[in-house]
Amino acid sequence: MSTSPFAPAYPEGTACADIAGVQVPVRFSDPTAEYQAVRERAALFDLTGASVIEIGGPGATDFAQRVLARDVEYLTSETTMSSLVLADDGSVVDQVVVWGREDGMYLESSIGRGAELLAHLQERAADADAVTVTDRTDEFGLFALEGPYAWGVVGRVIDAELAAMPFESIVDTRWDGVDIVFARAGLTGEYGYKVLAPRESALDLWVKAAQEATPAGLEVLELAMLEVRQPVLRHETADSAGASVLEMGANWLVDVSKDEFVGRDQVLAAFEAGSTVRTIGFSGTGPVPEPGTEVTVDGEAVGEVVYATRRIGADDTLGLARVRPELAAAGLRLTVADAEVSTLTSPYVTPRSWSTPII
Amino acid sequence: MSTLEELRAVADARRQTCTQIKKMIVTRLDLMIDPEWITDDQPLFGRGLELDSLDVLELYVAIEAEFGVALYDSEMSVFGSVGRLAEHVNPALVEQPA
Repeated sequence: MSTSPFAPAYPEGTACADIAGVQVPVRFSDPTAEYQAVRERAALFDLTGASVIEIGGPGATDFAQRVLARDVEYLTSETTMSSLVLADDGSVVDQVVVWGREDGMYLESSIGRGAELLAHLQERAADADAVTVTDRTDEFGLFALEGPYAWGVVGRVIDAELAAMPFESIVDTRWDGVDIVFARAGLTGEYGYKVLAPRESALDLWVKAAQEATPAGLEVLELAMLEVRQPVLRHETADSAGASVLEMGANWLVDVSKDEFVGRDQVLAAFEAGSTVRTIGFSGTGPVPEPGTEVTVDGEAVGEVVYATRRIGADDTLGLARVRPELAAAGLRLTVADAEVSTLTSPYVTPRSWSTPII
Repeated sequence: MSTLEELRAVADARRQTCTQIKKMIVTRLDLMIDPEWITDDQPLFGRGLELDSLDVLELYVAIEAEFGVALYDSEMSVFGSVGRLAEHVNPALVEQPA
């Protein structure tokens, strides 16, 4: 079991969970305060549950073009982007954040999916020329600042110029004498920034950030991601069959105009063949349904729940369901278990950052 | 509780508006994708379709021409997804849940 480099700074009573062999903080103190931080001020997220995998060697870019579903031709050491990684059958292995580096790139896995991603990449690299795949997770500490005023925190504790960096840009910089890689990217729809620091120095930086932003656990992070329909891979690919791109509705993470990548032909064939099921968000006032719970209309099964959670600060549930394509639309009343739910238009919460300028 | 047929009809009305928006986006912005590749939940800016501020201006013009709806003073939230935009250009979709 590995632990976070930030664990020594967790407040007493922090609740952690074992997510794929990593102790991940799910709740630091009061979930309502943590949720309010990300939607109203600034939250600090421990991203230790994500793996950092380096793609290196002269063949790194060619390899990345094959294994990533989006085009990395224009990736530089000053840019980042998100992409899916697909298996040969077109099913989703993981969603990654690609950090462009001078010699290759880092792939940041989604939380809890690092082992699957690493195994997949290593298997593909065995047949590739001049490429190395190295798990460097243990060398780094990774945390995020997100919220409508996260830019203010970045300005106060690091550097005001970093706060206004363009979306999906990266800079190598120093913070308190520590070399860090700083990225403007996020998961919750709010202003988002990430700090990738050497593991031995990361704790001090976390402590500094925690003086200005509220540490928030995985429970709040995943709810905030769901609210803006950012995929939460460890829930959305949990079924044994493996989710397809189209079923997940993650088309935006696949660039079908790119000529060749692993899984491309299978995804396009499925697209041409037409829908089987589609994902739609829902809310309701009943108990939180388990994944796989049947969704019905007039007693007839029309789909099943992918996953659902209790909303923080509201007395209802929020979840995703995979339903017949003709019913994958907002504004419908369906039945989950014995409770009525309403299907929703994404995003389910409008991030305050969309109407909050950086000043 | 509505019947399956009633729900299908409501979903179909929404789909028609969403499809019209997707075709408009692909045509106006010369995107090299099948309009149906865009999902109803897909954000139009930032992540998602990754449109920029010039694209916004183009879309303002296109939406007014195609739907007769002026969005100039609207918040950016109308571009939060194709579905959200559909509700703005066709408010009847919100008024008639099934």
